[in-house]
Amino acid sequence: MTKTITRKLLLFEPADILILISACFLTVWLYSTFWFDLSSVGEAETLLVQFADHSPKAYSLSEDQIINVKGRLGPALIEIKQRKARFIHSSCRNQFCVFHGWLSVAGDTTACLPNRVSISLKGTTNDYDAIAGAQ
Amino acid sequence: MKRHFTTTHQDHRVALLAALAITIHIIEAAFPSPLPGVKPGLANVVTLFTFMMYGWKTALQVSLLRVIISSLLLGTFLSPTFLLSLSGALLSLGSLIITQSLFYFLPQRTYLQPSAIGYAIVASISHMGGQFLMAWYFFIPHPGIFKLLPILITFAVILGIVSGIITQLTLSQLTKAPITKTRSTKR
Repeated sequence: MTKTITRKLLLFEPADILILISACFLTVWLYSTFWFDLSSVGEAETLLVQFADHSPKAYSLSEDQIINVKGRLGPALIEIKQRKARFIHSSCRNQFCVFHGWLSVAGDTTACLPNRVSISLKGTTNDYDAIAGAQ
Repeated sequence: MKRHFTTTHQDHRVALLAALAITIHIIEAAFPSPLPGVKPGLANVVTLFTFMMYGWKTALQVSLLRVIISSLLLGTFLSPTFLLSLSGALLSLGSLIITQSLFYFLPQRTYLQPSAIGYAIVASISHMGGQFLMAWYFFIPHPGIFKLLPILITFAVILGIVSGIITQLTLSQLTKAPITKTRSTKR
């Protein structure tokens, strides 16, 4: 009985393998698109602040400032200080975004889903030079 | 005045399969899921089984009945959960039909046609994709949610293979024919 079951389990038809391979390609493509974004490599240069699906606004990290963003629930305050950024106030209930603390490395992201505000740090556009320079 | 309703064999079949799917759906809803959005989706085994045994029309009936009645029983009718469930079910069935019609143009040999495993992978990915797009469009319209998509699709592929194997075993048990129909007889 077990022998027949294992034989059956291992039996993928060639068409199944075709489907499985394309599914794997899709997964790898999704990872490479959404996780290994090249603009999040290198030294952090700018802060992108985004509300809902509006296009993000960029702020330079070299200038200390407090940014007021209008979210879905209310205002959110984002602080830039010493090339780092954080939420200092948010109108959401859970305050996960505030507790997340400072963002300092390019690629760091904090999203406040209830308020639909997210901030992320972007690196220099010249990524490969930044990597070579680091080595 | 007395009215007579006659039920056909097809109605009984749909009712039986839908009842099975609803039961599985509700039992599954009682278990907590490790990740939000990731569920084994064992109720889709019934849909897939129906699709492969009786065609897409029966599968559509069973799947719609399953979504509507189990949402009524769980108390999520017309709620976001219901919308997610409905869009997932419809999109996965639609992609099953598309896959079948794509492979229809190939010769009808067993090894050229996908088995339940292939169909289950397609159904699982499109189910997850449909729910995800629905969630993104209506509930969390924020591009940050796309960071979650690769993980969800990875789980969809794995769970799709599992449910495909279950469906294939069920099919082979119920049709009393070995899975390797053409190949085992040739050898």
